[in-house]
Amino acid sequence: MVKNHQKHFVFSFEFNQEIEIYKFGATGWPRVILGLLLLVTLGNFLHLYKKGSEAQQGRVGISDIEEEITYDGIGSIKKLLAILSLPLIFSWSLKPVGFYSATPVFIALTIMLLGEKRIKWILGITLFIYLVLILLFMVILNAPLPQGNVSPFYDFSAFMLTLNTKLHQSLNF
Amino acid sequence: MVDNFLAGSAALFGDPFTIGIFIFGVIGGMLFGAIPGVSMLTLAAILLPFTASLEPAQGVMLFAVIYCTGTYGGAITAILFNIPGAPENAPTAFDGYPMTRKGQSGKAVGAAVLCSAIGGVSSALIMMAATEPLANWAISNIGPPEIFALVFFNPLLIVLSMFAGIIGGLLAGTLFLNNYRFVATSGQSIGVNYLAAGIAFVPAIMGFFAVSEIFVQAEKKAVGMYKAPKLSLDFPTILELWSHKIAVLRSMLVGFFCGILPGIGATLAAFMGYGEAVRWSKNKDSFGKGNIEGVISSETANNAATGAAMIPLLALGLPGGAMTALMVGVFQMHDLEPGPMVFYNSPDLIWIVFAAMFYANLSILFIGLIETKTILHLLKIPFQFLAPMILLLASIGSYIGRGLVLDVMIMFCTGIMGFLLRRSGYSIPGIVLGIILGKIGEQNFAQGMQMVHYDVLEYLSRPICLLLIIAGFLTLFTGIYKALSYSFKS
Repeated sequence: MVKNHQKHFVFSFEFNQEIEIYKFGATGWPRVILGLLLLVTLGNFLHLYKKGSEAQQGRVGISDIEEEITYDGIGSIKKLLAILSLPLIFSWSLKPVGFYSATPVFIALTIMLLGEKRIKWILGITLFIYLVLILLFMVILNAPLPQGNVSPFYDFSAFMLTLNTKLHQSLNF
Repeated sequence: MVDNFLAGSAALFGDPFTIGIFIFGVIGGMLFGAIPGVSMLTLAAILLPFTASLEPAQGVMLFAVIYCTGTYGGAITAILFNIPGAPENAPTAFDGYPMTRKGQSGKAVGAAVLCSAIGGVSSALIMMAATEPLANWAISNIGPPEIFALVFFNPLLIVLSMFAGIIGGLLAGTLFLNNYRFVATSGQSIGVNYLAAGIAFVPAIMGFFAVSEIFVQAEKKAVGMYKAPKLSLDFPTILELWSHKIAVLRSMLVGFFCGILPGIGATLAAFMGYGEAVRWSKNKDSFGKGNIEGVISSETANNAATGAAMIPLLALGLPGGAMTALMVGVFQMHDLEPGPMVFYNSPDLIWIVFAAMFYANLSILFIGLIETKTILHLLKIPFQFLAPMILLLASIGSYIGRGLVLDVMIMFCTGIMGFLLRRSGYSIPGIVLGIILGKIGEQNFAQGMQMVHYDVLEYLSRPICLLLIIAGFLTLFTGIYKALSYSFKS
């Protein structure tokens, strides 16, 4: 960890940029923080050496570690990895596939991965969440959501937006 | 003052259309504050063009009301789902969400409702009584050097997370920010053009709070250890709240003081309020694990900042933050300029706005208490149905800010980071503090240094700076001493 901070500290010299109106330049502040972090890491080592993994006194928001998580097999680890990966895949897919096509798949898969097995519920809740989001962000707020750039997903997004425009025109929105 | 206030109230409630605008502002502010991904600023930006067709007083009043109720609205999602509606509600989540996990959601939301109303009403009263002298004092005495000193002094930055927590957060804050240089410069140099504009803090906050929380609970679900939070409709008793009267009073003062600082407003107010609560508490370790005083302090302080933020705007024409800047837009649409002359040229406008802010804060109490019981039932929704909704709201919220898919990716990456850090016992509040206060700190440090021509002695010759820096160092050394003596104690 210490090595890592040193590396970042040195790395900051490689892309420093002078700023005419600011003497300390682009990396002045981060370097101070990296230096402090180095000291703090040494403090952490000291604590680890003296107290082991015992929680440090006075830190806020560490109640999570009070609950020990135990894995009973490879199945639960695979499940967790799938849960962690799914949002990343979803976010990656937003550019080519677009929000309107990727979202229902994401909702259904998330519900399934979190343990729901009843198909009717999965489909019903997926549709409900999708409609709520479309109503709120597309119809009411007119928020520009990713449309995708690959056919037929892009065409579907265009279809949704056309529907929205027609709806607005008919309601004189 | 009383006559003017009564006249303002009569003007406000004497016209049904104005009443309609007031009610729209109250409900709209609460809703937009509570829905993750959008904020009161979104609503204000949408409404800005429409204010051209309103009377100037109605337009400014609408924005002031949205400001009051929107600041409160974000507390609900912070408490129930660990998703702060806005950065100023982030400290509310530190203790509010653990309270929900412990089955005390009713107490947390009740405290937030009541304290938001108390903070807001008191701030509105002070605003009515002393706008001009306070504005003049703040502008002539407080500048970037003092604001940096204030951030340095913030006890949470120094004391609470003895080693890794806060300082790690400070690093994260610096690296994650869209502020000055580091990310932008490194982004260009490593060829990632999207990073040239830096990393916005909304996706990072959403990731660390909402997404990491979903992952933590999903992990428990995967290993069969998930327990749904218990629904509780128990509100805090009067006696319980009375026992925190000092915290309320302190947060009111802290919030009001931060509110009148230019460019700072409710966010720093909430963090300072929370930080001071921890500093003066006899039971510091309980913060972050469901201490009601954490909710009370941050919610009182952020709402106390709303009235105060109007002071430099109305008295001097200087907007303190994004919301007050939009209000300048409303003034300009009607060929008015906020500033001292408004008090003489348009006293009606001023007093309608003052009265509306007073009643908007009161309405937080009544509407808040009525809606709370309904909102708390959201906790009954099974986690597998709630999780995709939260993830999508957070995704949209991250995307809308700049229209970049990269921001959604960053949000999920910070979510995974937050999950792993929490699993290792690191402090997420520390990181969030770093993200929010790191930006304020760096910006004001840079501006302050330019103001004093990089002369440290000149910097320290400013009495408020000197006082805060000395107090900050004292706190820092006390914290380090305590941490070291604890580590060395066998």
